[in-house]
Amino acid sequence: MLWYVVRRVVTAVVVVFIVISLSFFLVRLMPGNAMQYLTDQLERQGSYTPQEIQQKIAAVYGILPHSPVWKQYLTYVGHAFRGNLGTSILNPGETVVHIVGNALPWTIFSVGLALLISFGLGVGIGTLMAVFQSSRFAKVTTLVVSFLSAVPNYVVAILLIYFVADRAGLFPSGGAYSVNVTPGPNPAFIGSVIVHAVLPILAYVLTAFGAWALTMKGAAISTIGAEYVRSAESRGLLSRRIAQSYVGRNSLLPMVTSLALSLGYVFGGSVFIETYFTYPGIGYYLIQAVTARDYSLMMGCFILITVSVVVANLVVDLFYPLVDPRIARPATHRGRAGAKTEVTEPVPVGSALP
Amino acid sequence: MTRFFRDLWRICRNDKAALFGAAVILAYLVLAIIGRSISHISTGVPNAASAYLSPSWTHPLGTDNLGNGILAELVVGTRPIMEIGVLAALITTFIGVVVGLVTGYVGGILDAAVMRVVDVFLTIPGLPLIIVIVSITRAAGPLALAAILSITAWAGLARAVRSQALSLRSLDFVESARVQGLPLRNIIGRQLLPNVGPYVAINFMLAITGSIYAEIGLFVLGVAPLNGTNWGVMINLAMSQGALYVTKSLISLLAPMAAIVLLQVAFVFFTRALDSVFNPRLRVQ
Repeated sequence: MLWYVVRRVVTAVVVVFIVISLSFFLVRLMPGNAMQYLTDQLERQGSYTPQEIQQKIAAVYGILPHSPVWKQYLTYVGHAFRGNLGTSILNPGETVVHIVGNALPWTIFSVGLALLISFGLGVGIGTLMAVFQSSRFAKVTTLVVSFLSAVPNYVVAILLIYFVADRAGLFPSGGAYSVNVTPGPNPAFIGSVIVHAVLPILAYVLTAFGAWALTMKGAAISTIGAEYVRSAESRGLLSRRIAQSYVGRNSLLPMVTSLALSLGYVFGGSVFIETYFTYPGIGYYLIQAVTARDYSLMMGCFILITVSVVVANLVVDLFYPLVDPRIARPATHRGRAGAKTEVTEPVPVGSALP
Repeated sequence: MTRFFRDLWRICRNDKAALFGAAVILAYLVLAIIGRSISHISTGVPNAASAYLSPSWTHPLGTDNLGNGILAELVVGTRPIMEIGVLAALITTFIGVVVGLVTGYVGGILDAAVMRVVDVFLTIPGLPLIIVIVSITRAAGPLALAAILSITAWAGLARAVRSQALSLRSLDFVESARVQGLPLRNIIGRQLLPNVGPYVAINFMLAITGSIYAEIGLFVLGVAPLNGTNWGVMINLAMSQGALYVTKSLISLLAPMAAIVLLQVAFVFFTRALDSVFNPRLRVQ
């Protein structure tokens, strides 16, 4: 168990380290890289001495452009691990960590809620489709659900903005809360936050729950066909008991893993949804930074998105042995290596989408 | 192979959605190949008089703000979308299958090391990484974009293929191939690959869907350079000209979105049919 925990934590730290190194490489070493771009821009303005330019670069990226590359790298990684990602060019004087720190709660709130709703909805509908496999309901639902899962979320976002927000005026089309409420734990603010989150969350859920329903349907159908379910039936157990403890629990197992793995995908989707709904989360700032060529903010958003996904994965990994004790026992794992076929490899839902 | 097509045809005939999917995909492929020769868009001076025309015989979907026929733009825009989508799916599938089969079959230290790399790529959120790389490199060529689009997608496939290779490894025919001393290339390509073929085919289709989604998204957000004509660029331009608020330009926004939805839905329906050709278990219903 201890070995399992250590391995997970080490993997998580390594991923974060790799992502930070990658972002250094992209910002500093790519041809036509961001730092060179800013230097050129400042030189073209002509009003700065070379020293001043160096100081500005150092302030934005936290590294001195003329020191040796390995030294720059160490400084960058050191700063990043201590939570210093430089300052934003787009919003002068604000540190990147401050901006992304303010954005993160909005993304976690909307994405997290949306993910839970689509998971619950998908598992429910998927189970129903599996139980009533040959009914008309299952056929129609399968078509509808496959259709919805195929529609890109940006299309849904644009349609929701046009029809629900602009035409019908039912919900606001942008922002996280209205300008005339004071942020704080008061009913007006909370109400405004909820009303503003409805459309973004709806856009996530509409495009995401279909994949969950189809995956759950597949998992439940193959569990229903398993021999231990048939033997439970022949022992005369109540059908509710069979549905819950035999079919439900066993087909939910791979779903829980998929839930963790799909987090990265959902965070990715937030880029489109937050941009269109001008919802001030991480994805929104990522695109703002890309459009304005604010590379330090851009890398900050990217690093933070990755760290959030890594932390979420780690939490699920640490809780997973509680759901399935076999996971954390390497001995049983090794013993099963030959019979690996029966352990279905968990695959993130929507994994084909980058 | 003929049996495969016979099965596919039988399933498509019974499943109208799959037939629809196959027909739509075929139509898009044809448009991607011949589109440029059957429809033209002017690249010259924008003509204010012909902007935002209502649908007519010459322009069945009306015109956009530059006076170009929207249907013509849709047709011309099919090729870049399909080209990049298929290229990206080819790269994703090739890397995923090779990595999965080799690590699964060879095992040992190589397997352990490569799987750690796969874990990293599975964890890093793909779309944000793609956005960051595209915006820094300003990649615009089809091959470069396709390569960037497949940067994390191969990992999921590699892991799934590996677990299949693991279970194939201990089967008799693979063991006899090993005993005969056949080279690794033969074992991977001739013994293992045919057995994961169906799975790979389905994932190839899914990879096309995923790449098209991400690729159009890049253009819609304006992250990838907005040159040429494709549906993503069309949506981006329509949005930036306020198509949501000006009713007369609404078609220029809705038409490319409809084109995307139609294609993606067709892929999903067709992939489902493929799935039931390969997995007889699913056919029961």
